[in-house]
Amino acid sequence: MSNWLEPKYVGWLAHGFLMTLLLSACVIVSATLLGFTLAMARNARNGFVTRVAVLYVLVFRNSPLLVQLLFWYFGAATLLPQSWMEWLNTPHTLSLWTFTLAWPPFEFVAGWIGLTCYATTFVGEEFRAGMRGVKDGQYQAAAALGLAPFGTFRHVILPQAIRIATPPLAGQYMNIVKNSSLTMAIGLAELSYTSRQVDTETFKTFQAFGAATVLYIATIAAIEVGLLLWKRRSAHAWQRGTV
Amino acid sequence: MKIRFAGAVIMGLMLAASSAAHADRLDDIKKAGVLRVATFDSNPPFGFVDPKNNQIVGLDVDYARAVADKLGVKLEIQPTNPANRIAFLKSGKVDLVFANFTITDERKKEVDFSTPYFASGTQFIAKKGVLKTPQQLNSLRVGADKGTTNEQQVRAQFPGATIVAYDDTPFAFAALRTGNVQAITQDGPKLVALLANVPDKANYEISPFTISNDYEGVGVPKGETRLLNVVDDTLKGLEANGTAGKIYDQWFGPTSRAPLPRLFKIGDPQKS
Amino acid sequence: MSALDWLPTLRYLLLGTFPNGPLGGAALTLVMSVVSALLSALVGLAGGIALSMTRGAVHLALTAVVGFFRAIPVLMLIFWTFFLMPMLLHIDVPGLATVVCALALIGGAYLSHSVQAGIAAVRAGQEQAALSLGLTRWQALRYVLLPQAVRIMTPSFVNQWVSLIKDTSLAYIVGVPEFTFLANQVNNRLMVYPVQIFLFVGLVYLLLCSALQFCATRLLDGRWRRNTPDAHSRITRFPHVQSADS
Repeated sequence: MSNWLEPKYVGWLAHGFLMTLLLSACVIVSATLLGFTLAMARNARNGFVTRVAVLYVLVFRNSPLLVQLLFWYFGAATLLPQSWMEWLNTPHTLSLWTFTLAWPPFEFVAGWIGLTCYATTFVGEEFRAGMRGVKDGQYQAAAALGLAPFGTFRHVILPQAIRIATPPLAGQYMNIVKNSSLTMAIGLAELSYTSRQVDTETFKTFQAFGAATVLYIATIAAIEVGLLLWKRRSAHAWQRGTV
Repeated sequence: MKIRFAGAVIMGLMLAASSAAHADRLDDIKKAGVLRVATFDSNPPFGFVDPKNNQIVGLDVDYARAVADKLGVKLEIQPTNPANRIAFLKSGKVDLVFANFTITDERKKEVDFSTPYFASGTQFIAKKGVLKTPQQLNSLRVGADKGTTNEQQVRAQFPGATIVAYDDTPFAFAALRTGNVQAITQDGPKLVALLANVPDKANYEISPFTISNDYEGVGVPKGETRLLNVVDDTLKGLEANGTAGKIYDQWFGPTSRAPLPRLFKIGDPQKS
Repeated sequence: MSALDWLPTLRYLLLGTFPNGPLGGAALTLVMSVVSALLSALVGLAGGIALSMTRGAVHLALTAVVGFFRAIPVLMLIFWTFFLMPMLLHIDVPGLATVVCALALIGGAYLSHSVQAGIAAVRAGQEQAALSLGLTRWQALRYVLLPQAVRIMTPSFVNQWVSLIKDTSLAYIVGVPEFTFLANQVNNRLMVYPVQIFLFVGLVYLLLCSALQFCATRLLDGRWRRNTPDAHSRITRFPHVQSADS
């Protein structure tokens, strides 16, 4: 417990941390888009669409994320045809000028899908709460100004809804970062996985888990700081009268 | 009042300290009447769940039972996967580890090992016709188990291989079946037994090469020499009276599901 | 495998090796959830009250501690309590207790936050009124603020407990024989039924969580509906209330 980790193992931890950040970023983007769609579906006028959305939320919110990830990686993989699995598992690269995008391993894809499906339910609920938080008077004022329903939604309701929803959304993004630790069960080499690897090889349990914990907390703190900055900036904007 | 209380505390501490100086793990086991052992629960035939009575049985369990009988205590089994073995031992949740535990110098710094009771080498399973030479590994995705020497050996000898580590061997095999990895690595005997229990075994084969020579022993907490001696004596006794051979025949003998000739007996000299 | 062949496996998944061994499976999941829920409620109440009644350095330290437990992933905390706590404190903690401890700490941190928010919501006028009546601060807290705050906070408690049921599945990582662990064991043995097994596991958790949600709603809402004529259901899912694995 008195020695630091060797550079080789620090490198492993760094790789794991980058993987965590990459996975979280991808899930945040996809969950935000899909969550918004889900919120729209919940508020749709078509009864069938609403019921499907309610069912989706019920199923994905009330089962553990670990079980969902195991299902996507081990279960769903057996349902896909063999040719699809082969394509998903051979490395593909796409070269754009100097960048080479490599197709991620299946663990990443399964983790991305699993985490997105799970996080979408919560992000969707935040968007719904945001839309509910906009006062009724806004709809009436917009109608009085002659705006059509779509214009009302786009120029009046949506900006306010997003502003109301942003603090809880930041909370959900923090949850996404924390939940990414569960993908270690399907073999994705993110931070919890690599800290466990380092521990089993070096037996320096305290250093390995300590470093991983510090990195997670630093990431969460960074999102929190981002939220605070956003709050301060939007407070200024309110005071100046611009949105 | 305060002085009397302080005096009582000091007496208590002295008593505790004095008893701690003499009691060791062997005494604790005998006093509790229970030997807690960590074994596998998903790795036939070393440790697996018997579907008829949902108890954990296997080669390692039989050896553990022999030690418990020698001590005259009950056997309590904690199911484990390769990654949690050392943690269970070091944190005191189990007294011994009977889980195909390979002896290495790094591990010897953290735990003590008994005399070896099993020998094996790291091998690979792949779909038929895929893996013929060791050099191919450098271009493949290889599934391994977290916390095993197989993973470390493949990483050391084949730096070009992409290793994906799962919690236990059946997970790695499921990944092999769906094509997420092209080969999996484990001890030879474990792979033989794994393949024997799989419904679609005709699609897979064990590659003909081995990349290491390993010996497995019982994991004992560091410094518990009396317990270690009891375990060593038990193992040597089992070999001397033929029980070790019988246990091996039950799980790896000619009438078992995964026959393997017995090349290593307890007490044999080790190839370095 | 015929339907009858699944029965002993089903029994194993639901009860573990009980009575021939320790309790396991879905029954253990339930027990763990209940114990963690009670413990986290206690920790949350104590923490929330402490956060509301202190100021200065103590308040800052408490906020930091609560913030730490809300920022750490549940998996990492289970690693800490499972691997390191026994080594650091030299006490032998059974695996089950370490998971319950970790879940109670994280649940307690989230609930402290909710309790503090609940107390703050009713505080302003009520506390001054109580003080002007001659109650001390602690009496005001106990007789005036807390009862009202608890009514506001109940949805948070229910949400947190539902999250706890899901978080017990993480005990699989450290070898506690609860439902997810046994399901993986069975899947490892059978090998060719992963879809069916994981769908079944998901369904059981779905039933457990939905049942808890439903019971809590009926139980708590029914009482309110009798008291206030125009109250609508207060038990909605408050997604902005952070839960450990929400």
